[in-house]
Amino acid sequence: MKSFISVCFVLIIFYSFNSQGSEASNWLKTEVDKILIAYQDPNLPSENRFLLIEQTINNNFAGKSIAIHVAKKSYKNASEEKRKEYIELFKRHLALNIAGLMQGYKNQEYKLIDARYDEKNKVNYIDMEINLDTGNILVTWRVLKHKERYFVIDLILSGISLVETKRSEFNSMLKTVDYNLSEFNKKLSDQNEISYSKIIN
Amino acid sequence: MQKINQIIFIVFLTLFSFQILAAASDQVSADSDDFETTTVEDEIYDPFEKINRAIFSFNNAADQIILEPVAKGYKKLPSPVQSGISNFLSNLRMPLVVVNQLLQGQGKNAAESTGRFVVNTTAGIFGLIDVADKIGLEEKEEDFGQTLATWGVGDGFYIVLPLFGPSNVRDTSGMLMTMVTDPVNAYAASEGEAWFVTTRITTNAIDQRSKIIDEVNALRNNSLDYYAAVRSSYYQNRKAAIDNTDDSDLTPLPLISIEFE
Repeated sequence: MKSFISVCFVLIIFYSFNSQGSEASNWLKTEVDKILIAYQDPNLPSENRFLLIEQTINNNFAGKSIAIHVAKKSYKNASEEKRKEYIELFKRHLALNIAGLMQGYKNQEYKLIDARYDEKNKVNYIDMEINLDTGNILVTWRVLKHKERYFVIDLILSGISLVETKRSEFNSMLKTVDYNLSEFNKKLSDQNEISYSKIIN
Repeated sequence: MQKINQIIFIVFLTLFSFQILAAASDQVSADSDDFETTTVEDEIYDPFEKINRAIFSFNNAADQIILEPVAKGYKKLPSPVQSGISNFLSNLRMPLVVVNQLLQGQGKNAAESTGRFVVNTTAGIFGLIDVADKIGLEEKEEDFGQTLATWGVGDGFYIVLPLFGPSNVRDTSGMLMTMVTDPVNAYAASEGEAWFVTTRITTNAIDQRSKIIDEVNALRNNSLDYYAAVRSSYYQNRKAAIDNTDDSDLTPLPLISIEFE
């Protein structure tokens, strides 16, 4: 009887992890498809296409948290007004980065090949394989569940984390402005304008 | 009129729902530890940053003027031709991969790589077709840089090599060891066919570059500091290669929202 209960317990735990993984995968597939459909629609003006993609990314990425994570002490020491400005600029920057990356994969097929749940950190890992003519690329999405919704907290391409890269890049740039978030916001705003003009043209 | 009302209603509803969803994403909170630096960032030692940045700018210009356009042209070749070239070059690397796997104590991987080399060189027509992959002999790359890392040799400082790109002291030493010990190159040089070595290096660069055109463009167009972004990407990529894992579980986890609001 005792062993039967143990087996049931293990099965329930296993099932709950598995179902969480598959639930997260279904959610991710829907959101990725939204972006790819936006890219594949030839009638959509490029400004509207980016707006649609930006909204999808803002809704599904933990943008504010990633923004705080990458700006470190500069964020902590900045005024509330500058913080707000930075968050908005960062969100656009993130959207431009993801959109730029996904633009290259717009005509490729992909499949979600694995989903697992890290119980210790409460993070879902979803592996996506993008099929190219000359091989496959593995993209791993790190996803958190919060109040019955999923949020992407990072994506990893060939072992390279987008958030880690941004953190390193931002830190290097913050150094040049003496960790002044106000000055940094100006640079981020300029970069966003350059990236935006490239993505819509 | 009713139709217009319906459209206005749908547009408002969509905008409203986007606002609600976006607001919810802001509630995911950052952990207080987020203000500390991560291990990866601390590991990068770049005392010659000024010189490295100058070489990086030169490499970037050379890439945009020469390598990227050539790689884009290469991409227009039929995909079996591209795969054939890529497989052939990969097969040429295999003897040294086996040596490095043995030096790292990976007997099973060394046996598999030897099997790959034999099968692809024979049934795969001098490595042009990756027959081995179809029979379950997966490709696993190892180089001297990874071997030195496995033996406990540290990264050393970060270096940007002219034309070869990002590296560090250990990986540059590894690259030199590869150049010196590669049996195919040594044979070609001894036969007075040094052109083969140059052609191999050039073709390899074009082949590798053609595989990351979109990724490099995305990084270049959207980086606030392209140099720092490439440096970080290089270290993360090498760390994954040294750890012998594509398993993203090992990539440092951003300390985001372990605690919720």
